[in-house]
Amino acid sequence: MAGTEVTTTVHSEWMQYAPLIILLPMMAFAVILFLGRVFNGHPFWKKNLKEGGLIALPVMGASLILSLLLISEFLKGYSGVEDIFEKIAWVNTGIWNGGSTTESVSFGFGIYVDHVTVMLLFVASFLCLLINVFSIGYMNTDPINDNRNHRFYAEFVLFCSGMLGMVLADSFLWLFIFWEIMGLCSYLLIGFYYERPSAASAAKKAFLTTRIGDVFLMIGLVMLWDLFGSLDYAVVFDTHNIEMVAESSAGTLQWALGLMFIGAVGKSAQFPLHVWLPDAMEGPTPVSALIHAATMVNAGLYLVARMFPFFGAEALHGDLDDLAFIIAAVGGITAVMAAAIAFVQMDLKKVLAYSTMSQLAYIFTGLGCAMYLANTLDWHHDSDAHYIVIVAFGASLFHLFNHAMAKGMLFMASGSVIHEVHHAHHHLHHDDDHHDDDFDAQSMENMGGLASKMPITATAMLIGSASIMGLPLIGGFWSKEGIIANAWRVAQDDPRFLFPAMCVLLGAAMTGFYMSRMWLKTFAGKPNNEVAAHVGPTNIWIKTPLFILTFVTLSSVLLAGMGFTHWAADTEYSFLSEKNIIDGILYEMGHAFANSDSFFFILTYVAIFLGAIVGPGVAMALYGGKLADGEHAKPWMRPVIRLSAWVNKRFHFDNTAFRESSLATALENRLYIDEYYDKAMLNIVAGFSTKVAEADTEVIDGTIKAIESGSQSLSTFVRSLTTGSARDYILMVAVGTLIISLLIWGVA
Amino acid sequence: MSKTTTIEPFTAGFVEALSPELILFAGMLLLILVPNLGKGTFRIPGTQTRIPWLLGGTRFKFSSDPRLPAWIASITLGSAFLNVLYVFSQGLDRVLIVSESGKELLLINGFSRIFELIFFGALALAAFSSMNRLQVKGIGSKIPEHELYNNRRQADFYILMVTCALGMSVVALAQDLFVLFIGLELASFSTYVLVAFLKESKVGVESGMKYFIVGSVASGVGLYGLSMLYLWAGSLQFSVLAATFAVSGTTALPLIGIGFVLVGFGFKVSAAPFHFAAPDAYAGAMSPVAGVLATASKAMGMIGLVRMLLIVAAPESSDGSAVWLVCLGAMAAVTMTWGNLAALGSDNPKRMLAYSSVAHAGYMLAALTAVGAWNWDAAVAGDASAAAVAVMTALLFHLVVLVAFKLGAFLVLSILESEGGASRLSSLGGLAKREPLLAVAMFIFMISLAGVPPMAGFLSKLLVIMGIVRVAVGDMGAEISDGGIYALGDMHWVWWLALLMVINSAISVFYYLRVVVVMFFNEPEEGREGPLPRGWQVRVAILACVLTTVLVGVAGDSLIRLCEMAAQSLNYNW
Repeated sequence: MAGTEVTTTVHSEWMQYAPLIILLPMMAFAVILFLGRVFNGHPFWKKNLKEGGLIALPVMGASLILSLLLISEFLKGYSGVEDIFEKIAWVNTGIWNGGSTTESVSFGFGIYVDHVTVMLLFVASFLCLLINVFSIGYMNTDPINDNRNHRFYAEFVLFCSGMLGMVLADSFLWLFIFWEIMGLCSYLLIGFYYERPSAASAAKKAFLTTRIGDVFLMIGLVMLWDLFGSLDYAVVFDTHNIEMVAESSAGTLQWALGLMFIGAVGKSAQFPLHVWLPDAMEGPTPVSALIHAATMVNAGLYLVARMFPFFGAEALHGDLDDLAFIIAAVGGITAVMAAAIAFVQMDLKKVLAYSTMSQLAYIFTGLGCAMYLANTLDWHHDSDAHYIVIVAFGASLFHLFNHAMAKGMLFMASGSVIHEVHHAHHHLHHDDDHHDDDFDAQSMENMGGLASKMPITATAMLIGSASIMGLPLIGGFWSKEGIIANAWRVAQDDPRFLFPAMCVLLGAAMTGFYMSRMWLKTFAGKPNNEVAAHVGPTNIWIKTPLFILTFVTLSSVLLAGMGFTHWAADTEYSFLSEKNIIDGILYEMGHAFANSDSFFFILTYVAIFLGAIVGPGVAMALYGGKLADGEHAKPWMRPVIRLSAWVNKRFHFDNTAFRESSLATALENRLYIDEYYDKAMLNIVAGFSTKVAEADTEVIDGTIKAIESGSQSLSTFVRSLTTGSARDYILMVAVGTLIISLLIWGVA
Repeated sequence: MSKTTTIEPFTAGFVEALSPELILFAGMLLLILVPNLGKGTFRIPGTQTRIPWLLGGTRFKFSSDPRLPAWIASITLGSAFLNVLYVFSQGLDRVLIVSESGKELLLINGFSRIFELIFFGALALAAFSSMNRLQVKGIGSKIPEHELYNNRRQADFYILMVTCALGMSVVALAQDLFVLFIGLELASFSTYVLVAFLKESKVGVESGMKYFIVGSVASGVGLYGLSMLYLWAGSLQFSVLAATFAVSGTTALPLIGIGFVLVGFGFKVSAAPFHFAAPDAYAGAMSPVAGVLATASKAMGMIGLVRMLLIVAAPESSDGSAVWLVCLGAMAAVTMTWGNLAALGSDNPKRMLAYSSVAHAGYMLAALTAVGAWNWDAAVAGDASAAAVAVMTALLFHLVVLVAFKLGAFLVLSILESEGGASRLSSLGGLAKREPLLAVAMFIFMISLAGVPPMAGFLSKLLVIMGIVRVAVGDMGAEISDGGIYALGDMHWVWWLALLMVINSAISVFYYLRVVVVMFFNEPEEGREGPLPRGWQVRVAILACVLTTVLVGVAGDSLIRLCEMAAQSLNYNW
């Protein structure tokens, strides 16, 4: 066992309030649930408090403000320090350490802040707030949710508490606890419409699938505990402790981290544990935006990013490269597979779900490559290598940031579309009693040409799509280029990595196609039916977050210029200190478009060509088109629509052959993976369960029943000694006295 | 180690040192005087002149308020409680009060302070929450305020509460077995009367009578033991007894004397087989009184046992203490098992709580055995004496937090009682629908009694078990440090008590959770669907109990430190 040395704790002014970031939402959970039960249906509660939405809002606002204060303090003053953390002890106790003395142990909760924390803390608290705003516009205007929105908001804030807690926790143990709180909330929120069988089974599926990963995660954590004797970051990341472990059991450490990675695979919906995410779209759209796009699915990435100190440790040099490859390869497979399935989806939210899987897979690939670099390069002493490692790690984190912002926005925009299509349908057919039975407000078949009707939503969707596709200068471009370049850089060192490198390059083209297809089918062309023609603009609660996020996504270039990839990945680079922002942007521009290394120069343009020209081009050829007569899009969307119409006219081709091919059918059936899982479950697991259940009823229950009835009759006997007569009681006192006297007499 | 100040009664510093007790005394006088204030006059003999002297006659409006005595008692006990708390927060001085001939009478230190907190806290809560429920027709009838007992009988009830507190605190302070016995009897007699206070109800009188008879027998045996000790040592001073025991403790006289004293205190903590009257007494008494019996009265008995332990476990007396410990350990094992088994099938919630309190007594006795299993002498024992302090800390902590959730549970029952009895489990039915907050409070008390985290009950049980294991392991230290092979058998036998405690805790979850099931899932009894009797006082008291249970469970650090201080102040060498 390694020693339990503890590194120095740095106190800072806002650090002491950091627990409130987690506690406030957790308390709001109880408050909203309680008030919701008490005042359910009360007009003040419904109108003025939005069934708890306006209780959640200030709480999330407070969490965001506290987070920002903490972050700004970290960036200003402490970015040179390894990390800052603070511990609150709950129980201080001793455990027997195998000798004649005891070792003091403190169980408690601690806050740990470092560069990775800071980035994800901002993403989580910022998006939680915006999605809270969005929820008020989305949930409270749909009569189907009336009188049960308090449940939504309560679970929502509990989820936020879990996410923020996971980010701020100071040990893998607490990370795991909050991880499970999120899992629970995810289950509850996916099953929010539990009266629908599809939602109930989707919730179950999500819970069980992620649970499989969690079991492995737990085993990994136990192994890690066994190696280090603690799960505190301060202990396990300590260079000295890692050296001690590396000497004797580097292989075991790789297994432990690998098992933990399986947990991340489940949470972040990567192949082969990806099956739950598309079904999870049964939940209300704000839930999809928050949990299944912007925050919870990033938990897996965060866990992997947390492992970075192991990969980067000098003592473990070259010991963990296999795991790094597995991480990158899982990412590569998922990136292509999910993108391919997204080709044929008609459901707006499902396209986004598969896109999420694919983009998360990019980040996994990026992390895998960065970890490989950190593990094989001598980056502690060679400053060039150091730069390469840091930028590779930073690019992955930057993509996490960009993707969370863009995908959160896309989901909210899709929610806005669905909401309005639903309303339009309702409005048109309100005399018809059966209208809800066969109308699918999420299907892109029922949309089309909405660009002029919902300008803000369409713009947000356009910018978000461009960011995901990696169109030059917008959002995800900066980070995606970095990931692709690093994958190829690693592929030059290690031929195994050619596979993920090819995957991410191919994925870029595929992303270009499916994102463009989605936008064009929804917003360009003529309305597909009467409902789409009657869609109106959306409300202010929905517009506001879309508006804000559009600007955040567009300003990603500024972040890139500020050296995001550097200070998000390593503490040695401090915020904004290297160059001023203009120089930074120019540097990044030069780096991206005029790389001095000819290999990367060509690679950049190949990636841009694939992602920004081939993919969207094919999509335009198939689905482009002018708006209906008399409809005018906003000026910034007009060129896109006109271009798509032109490409469509000029290059349109018939894709019926593809659509009827067996590949397309397979994709529509999600490559039959779900079916195989079902079959395996039914035949193996269910059969086994039946046997176990039989054993349970007969052996275990039988034993327990026997114990129960036995102890009850024993209890009856014991109580029958309490006769109720004082004479008997005195007799018993006498007997007791006698026994004591005899005992003493015998010895004395 | 703090300096000890020695003072004689009524000299400088006396009032400060005994201020909580003096507050109680003043409160008692007020309780006698104030309700009797009236327009009474006094005729000067031989004249027709009448001088108003304010006692007797027609009462004033304020002095005829039936709630007045309850207020006086609550304020008295509450301010005594706050006084102790304030003194504690100011840091602690050890004050020894000696008689003119130099005999140690009373000692004020951390140990006595923590018990004063327990006694005053429990009694203040009980007094405050019975304000609205002392009724003419005994248990069970809802009657308006104007029919509350005429305040003279009210005053009796609360005077008894205050004398009970006074007696208990004397027990905590005593440095002499005789003083201790006087305090014990003062408190005991008050509780006998309190149990039988509702003379109109048959069960009350019967159970009070039984409690009194069995209690007297136990006291008699205990007193006989005291006389044997006096015969042997020529003194009843703790310090003298301990010193004498160290020299000649293995003779029959002191051992049997101590054994008899054990009977007397065993009854007070309701240890088997002296516990039989307790379930009857708890079931017959009013719930707040039963709550006091289960918490404060038990803590008082525990003091006696601790004092005995300190005598026999004084340095260099291992032979004598070994026998005594076997008695104590056997008693602990039997008590906790018996209590839990009996509670398992009990359908009367008050009896169930009584048996559960017997089980808790068993846990505490187990802790006490573990304390005795190690030498107290700091110089000799080193690390392991810290283990003994840890167990003692756990014991004190358990006694303190028990007040919160055991008394709290009784207070919840007391609300049901004033509605028409709480003698069947089904009378709790549907409580969650009738008054959800009350049901939640009861739920918290139950899981705390069962020892579920994060409630205070979990922490106390954890500390006790951990402390016992620590002592048991510490006993094995020599074998381990020699590098020898060690096995379970090498550990001190108190280890088995810890194991038995764990098994018993598992059993106890069954009957605690059954209450929860009835509250949340069963329908109310017929005729009890309506709202519960009102009265904010008892609800405030319950709230205080809930808050203590939860807060101590979550952040019990400071309380643990306080108890540790108290545990350390016990040792003669500190």
